[in-house]
Amino acid sequence: MSVLAEVVTVLLNGLQQGAIYVLVAIGLSIILGTLKFVNFAHGALYLIGTYAGLLITLEINVTDGKLADWGYATIGLGWGFLAALIIVPIIVFGVGLLMERFVARPFYDRPDTDQILLTFGLAIVIQEVFKILFGGQSYNFARPGWASGQVGLPIIGTFPEWRLYIIGITAAVVVLVYGLIEYTDFGLVVRAGTRDAEMVELLGIKLSRPYLMVFGVGAALAGVAGVVGGPLYAVNPNIGTEVLVPSFLVVVIGGVGSIAGAVLGGILIGETLAVLVAVAPQWSQVGIYVLAAVVLLARPQGLLGSEEVAP
Amino acid sequence: MSDEPTETPEATDETGSAVERTQRELPSWERIRRSELFVVATTTVAVAVFPWLFARAPVVSGVLQGYQDLATLILIWGIFAMGFNLLLGYTGLLSFGHAAFWGGAAYAAGVFSAQVSSSPILIILAGTSFAALSAWILGFVSLRRGGIYFAILTLAFGQMAYYMALAPLSGITGGENGFTGVELGKLFGVFDLRYPVPALDWLVGTWKYVLVGAVAVLCVAAANRILHSPYGMVFRAIRENDQRAEFVGLNVWRYKLMAFIISGTFAGVAGSLFTIYSAYVPVSSFYWTTSGEVVIMAVLGGVGSLFGPILGAGVYLYVENIVSGVQQLTLPFTGPGEWVTLVQEPVVVLDGFGAYWHLILGLVFVAVVVLFPRGIWGLLEDVGSAVRRLGGGR
Repeated sequence: MSVLAEVVTVLLNGLQQGAIYVLVAIGLSIILGTLKFVNFAHGALYLIGTYAGLLITLEINVTDGKLADWGYATIGLGWGFLAALIIVPIIVFGVGLLMERFVARPFYDRPDTDQILLTFGLAIVIQEVFKILFGGQSYNFARPGWASGQVGLPIIGTFPEWRLYIIGITAAVVVLVYGLIEYTDFGLVVRAGTRDAEMVELLGIKLSRPYLMVFGVGAALAGVAGVVGGPLYAVNPNIGTEVLVPSFLVVVIGGVGSIAGAVLGGILIGETLAVLVAVAPQWSQVGIYVLAAVVLLARPQGLLGSEEVAP
Repeated sequence: MSDEPTETPEATDETGSAVERTQRELPSWERIRRSELFVVATTTVAVAVFPWLFARAPVVSGVLQGYQDLATLILIWGIFAMGFNLLLGYTGLLSFGHAAFWGGAAYAAGVFSAQVSSSPILIILAGTSFAALSAWILGFVSLRRGGIYFAILTLAFGQMAYYMALAPLSGITGGENGFTGVELGKLFGVFDLRYPVPALDWLVGTWKYVLVGAVAVLCVAAANRILHSPYGMVFRAIRENDQRAEFVGLNVWRYKLMAFIISGTFAGVAGSLFTIYSAYVPVSSFYWTTSGEVVIMAVLGGVGSLFGPILGAGVYLYVENIVSGVQQLTLPFTGPGEWVTLVQEPVVVLDGFGAYWHLILGLVFVAVVVLFPRGIWGLLEDVGSAVRRLGGGR
């Protein structure tokens, strides 16, 4: 393999790794930026997404799942995954709504530290519930049949097809969310609420419903990330916390409340990881924290964060 | 801290009842209770009696089913939680990266013991200095952003320490296997830490516990002194309103950094003691669950009080070590018991109880955050003042 091909492969791997972080981090970032609520249980939402996705793909498949029982064994492999990709975000959206109403809302007026402690405790509880329900062992989340192969690309030859799908799905979701926030009335209210919530309320717009929706959308994004990222790692109750810390770094590096910042931060972290894995694997995990430290020392508000919005 | 003058003692210490009774007749109880000498003396008595009550006393230990080593461990984590609380409870900064100081000190102590000197006192000093230094560096970076960002950044840099120990520095730290080469010499060159204390072994057990207990008392004294000094007052002012403190002319950032360093130093003392306690440093001592555990301990016990976090550490470790091994949750005093038994057949409330301990602890933690922000200690204080009001006092 030529040097160019290797470089491109590494960069693509980084993009794919960053994509998962982007999906989780956008949810974190808009909840943090809009509601000023820090959600340490966001990783738990990712966890719920992964397990829900795993269950759905196991149940709805053609070899031994529900579809086979119902006699639809001829419609092709891996449709359960598509079903999961649609159903899981809806489920996690619902979980997000419940969380906003019953967990976040009573704590908006409490100190930041109380919010962190509450969501941290909640994350432990959710993780333990999953451990009790499904055991502590790791499950294998198979890639969908229609994307399990290798795909031929011009410079690098072959590349796992599923990784390209991850990048594609992420890009589509990001564009969707960006459109929602930037070009709809809903987004306008949300952005105005971020700047000056009191003024928006004085203008006669109740913010409680937009806030509810923001939390739901953020949660749904974590759910999507859970389904999409599920096949990449072994599925066990600890994945939620494992994905949480890098995602928080993405938010901090990119700048809170900025979707573009989350994308930039996610790609930066993903690429840093991938490049270091290729060059100096020992330092790969340390590298992302060094990157975060450097960014913070240079620009405390994050790369694309603005001084005034950030508290 | 209650402002009302009280005639009778509060439930300050679970073991200090004898002391309280003798002090009750004295005129200005409140002043005595707050005096440094009293705090240190009560702590010393409590620390000395604790392992006996916990592991060997009749009836009490039968109910608690504790053991000597757990008493030592509770004190060590108590120091850690107390130092953590100096930051959270008194300056309002929530750190999720204290594992970096605990683990850093543990490794520094271990490496120091293998390479330089195996004297326990020097080991503690080495580990603590290392922790203080790393707290200075991490605090400098993390405190660039306040509030929630501080929590996230400390979490991130704590994880960075974990991955440093895991891979790039594995030549020193032993990587995944942890550091196994801990050498422990004799205390002052005379007392072997593993041996029981002559004549007093029924009370305090081994020299190891004496060392840990002495350091714990010193730490309580130091924390008490800091909190009641003008410096500690500034910490509280920052917690109440850091903007106002800034306007008064205080350099809030420097005070916060100092609070972080002090808190990291306490974590370092505890981490070094942990190396002495276990003669081994697992790499998981750096993992962020360690930071999470100390957060849970401090909040569970009660932030903003000197002894609350120590109580929290005790409850947490007790549940972790004793309760998690319980197969069935039975009603108390039913079933075959060593001391008190009401019914011979156990009344089972929950089967397979031990497996749920983490979940139950999590639920209790959430309940404490939502309902009792001052933790178990605050609850005890409230109950104490309610009882006093019932008793006719104010």
